[in-house]
Amino acid sequence: MTRHLPLWRRLLGLHLPVLVIVLFALSPYIWMFISSITPETDLYGEVFRYFPKNPTFENYPRIFQKVAFARNLRDSLIVATATMLVGLGISLTASYSFSRFRFRGRNYLMIQFLVINMFPIVLLLIPLFVIMRVLRLIDTYFALIIAYSTFTIPFSTWMMTSFFNAIPKQLDEAALVDGCTRFSAMTRVIVPIAMPGIGATGIYIFITAWNEFLYAAILTGNKVLTIPVALQNLIGEYNIAWGLLTAGGIISVIPVIVLFFFIQKQLISGMTAGAVKA
Amino acid sequence: MKRKTDLFPYTLLTPALSATVLIIFFPIVQTAIMSLFNYVIWKPKDTRFIGLGNYLRALTDEVFWISLKNTLYWIAGVILLQLLLGFTTAMLLNREFKWRGLARSLILIPWVTPSVITALMWRWMYDGNNGVINDLLVRIGLLNSYFPWLANSTTALPAIMVALMWQGFPFFAIMILAGLQAIPGTLYEAAEVDGASKLQMFTHITLPMLTPILFTSILLRIIWVANSMDVIFVMTGGGPGYATYTLPVFAFIRAYKGLDFGYASTIAIFLTLLLIAIVAGYVIRVLRSQEALR
Amino acid sequence: MKRASILVLLLLLPLALFAAGQGEEKMASIRFWYHFDNPDAAVTPLVQKFEKENPSIKVSPEFIAWDVYNQKLLTSIAAGNPPDVSQIKLWWQPQLVEMGALLDLSDYLAKWPGRTDVFDKIWDLTEYTDGNQYLMPLQMVILYMYYRTDMFNELGLKPATTRAEFLDLAKKLTRDTNGDGTPDVYGFGIRGARGGHDWWGTFVLSSGAEFFLPGGGSGLTTTEAIAANQWFIDLYRVHQVSPPTTPNDGFQQIIANMQSGKTAMTIHHIGSSKGLAEALGDKLSAAPVPKGTKKYWTSFGDEENGVLAASQYPDAAFKWASFLATAENNAIWQKSSGQVSINKSNATGGGDRFLKATTDSADFAGVLPAHPGTAEFVESLWPTQMQRAFLGEIGSREMMQSFADHFAK
Repeated sequence: MTRHLPLWRRLLGLHLPVLVIVLFALSPYIWMFISSITPETDLYGEVFRYFPKNPTFENYPRIFQKVAFARNLRDSLIVATATMLVGLGISLTASYSFSRFRFRGRNYLMIQFLVINMFPIVLLLIPLFVIMRVLRLIDTYFALIIAYSTFTIPFSTWMMTSFFNAIPKQLDEAALVDGCTRFSAMTRVIVPIAMPGIGATGIYIFITAWNEFLYAAILTGNKVLTIPVALQNLIGEYNIAWGLLTAGGIISVIPVIVLFFFIQKQLISGMTAGAVKA
Repeated sequence: MKRKTDLFPYTLLTPALSATVLIIFFPIVQTAIMSLFNYVIWKPKDTRFIGLGNYLRALTDEVFWISLKNTLYWIAGVILLQLLLGFTTAMLLNREFKWRGLARSLILIPWVTPSVITALMWRWMYDGNNGVINDLLVRIGLLNSYFPWLANSTTALPAIMVALMWQGFPFFAIMILAGLQAIPGTLYEAAEVDGASKLQMFTHITLPMLTPILFTSILLRIIWVANSMDVIFVMTGGGPGYATYTLPVFAFIRAYKGLDFGYASTIAIFLTLLLIAIVAGYVIRVLRSQEALR
Repeated sequence: MKRASILVLLLLLPLALFAAGQGEEKMASIRFWYHFDNPDAAVTPLVQKFEKENPSIKVSPEFIAWDVYNQKLLTSIAAGNPPDVSQIKLWWQPQLVEMGALLDLSDYLAKWPGRTDVFDKIWDLTEYTDGNQYLMPLQMVILYMYYRTDMFNELGLKPATTRAEFLDLAKKLTRDTNGDGTPDVYGFGIRGARGGHDWWGTFVLSSGAEFFLPGGGSGLTTTEAIAANQWFIDLYRVHQVSPPTTPNDGFQQIIANMQSGKTAMTIHHIGSSKGLAEALGDKLSAAPVPKGTKKYWTSFGDEENGVLAASQYPDAAFKWASFLATAENNAIWQKSSGQVSINKSNATGGGDRFLKATTDSADFAGVLPAHPGTAEFVESLWPTQMQRAFLGEIGSREMMQSFADHFAK
């Protein structure tokens, strides 16, 4: 892919489409930002405005002072990061097993993982609440980390199995021949090559945990208060605190985007030509 | 060789298995058993075993069939929209250009935004009196006057599907991008030397190499989309009428508004069965083809 | 030696009993669940005041988001871990009582001195059908009609007192102000989404429809009731005095439409008056709802505190609930809730036009029946059936019949 196309072709065929897609992804976000700087009395005017007459940034310091949003950011970061690490760790070994080995019950187990995923999780609230209560984990980080890691295992296992499947088994065999144990073949040889897939799966787990609302609201909500629950608290019975809500929405996205920006190069690095000798 | 059972793969599986069995599997079994009972939470004295009674009730319930139909439209539409946009995005972001890192990070935004905010913002944007979408469409001239997108039973579900396309296309973009990255560049270089056109490279190298990832992510996404209900619930509550009732929305409302857990569990089981039916043939084929690879 | 030890034991016995008695005086720790719309509001000053007056009780307040409040309460009850005191909405009461989740407060209340300071009407409305009192009043609010004074003045109109006048007003106020062929202002904003049953009640329950007939049977399927319901449906389908978005309009939308001038009238209560008054100032006022063909009906919206039966400290829990219902503290609470105090001694008689509209409506405010099916009616049955009727998918008779069937179960 190293041909150099003329500039206008690159503009039209690459930069423009990407720009359009990025703008599509951003538009609601931009609209959210505009709402966050609009005074609430001006939100619904007689004439539709695209930009408020008197923009105000007061919601941003307000959300940190009145709602203690910094603490919500911290709680969400803790839960999401821990979930990602635990979830990845557990699913990685399981996926490797499914991908590399043929053993009795393999197909059955894979299908079972899939079927478990199909069940609407919203109905499992009460049993899960009971489990967490018995373990005395209500309103702790562990409740969410355990719940989220477990919910994401089926997905992650299937995803990573398919990523592992894309790596030829000759590499494993070569590593074994070179003197690795089966375990170190997995960790030292295959995992590094599968990093893009592992990274993508890790992102999936992180975002799922970052965004989850229902279980966070039911299992926690006082000592542990993640972002989605904190934002939901701004939606009242008769009134929505739009200014704070939209400001919160804007802020809640930033840590993940920044994080991803810095690690995406490592995660989604191209596979060099030398890895597979066809 | 000896016939000793190799325990290594099983050991690798133990953490995942134990967690899922304890935390998800048992609760699912509990809920499944509940579907065989008449169990309304505020009528604890009326709880009794009714076997398939709830199932028969569902099959004769018009709301069940409406929800089922909507669910099928919902799954097909959302997956198609998310896949097309996600695939295009991944192909574009796989190429080299200066602001690639920034673009890749920014397209994550829809995926990272909490669902409640996504739903509220899109609801506001679609608003028939104060919505920006209506305003833009009128300005451009495509509409004469504001249209109540979410209050009209024909447009409500498609409107929400667009919001879901926005929310979910980054998933496909990232997964497919990761898959594209795993294709060795040497294959393309060799094909170029052989004189292959871009289209041929796409159909003979890219697509086949992406197939496992594509199939798996589509499969998983079908399951996720079929179950997603929080955006629908906030945007229309299942309305107007039953226009945006999907099976999970129906189950949720039965469970938490009607407190009829027996019946809600039944609907959940039906949804699971539906998904099994949709993916069964496909999954068995994939698993068998993986056998063949060995 | 043996006799000595028996003597010691006998001496120690009263001490042991005394110590056991003392055990009941140790710290009672109660959990209190609440919700406020205003995120700035905090219940802390009240908690501090209470703990100062009751040093052996510790109150742990937990703010629960409104959207998930009912679910979280139900889940905690079903899992055996509910709070000690919780805000309860009136239409949840039947289900909770049937489940045995609420503690009967009748005995406590008989001995509570503050009982007479609460409006009698509230006790009537919150008493359960079995004659017991499970709820402790907390706040009250009565729905009235907002209207745009500037539009009324422009057209020389006055607020309606009867249903017929109201329709006339609504039609006059629905206008095409910029000549493009479509109305830009609608006379009346109907809330068609969940929560809109109060709009429906004002025009239907006032004009011949009743949930239950005194002699038994449903009062929703009489000819009169069906006609009243048809009148309401016609507001949207025939007279088109309500915006096209009505089937999906929730609270946010009807308030937004009032604020932007899209609608000239709508129904709500004092809780929204502050925000609207800030935006519209003198252009906004309120009046009691118009009379139907038989009587007035408006919704008495309120919220109470309930003590959960599973509480380990029912005495302390009742103390906290009654503390909040005493005049001085209740007034502090209403500053955060934006609603009206339940105490007679707090009824100053002053206040703005919105408070006046509230108190003027007090005589005829009512609630939905204390029936276990009410919760589902409010949360999902009314919205879906109303929306279908608005869309023309079902007719008035079918709609009312579905309600009658539901309450007959």
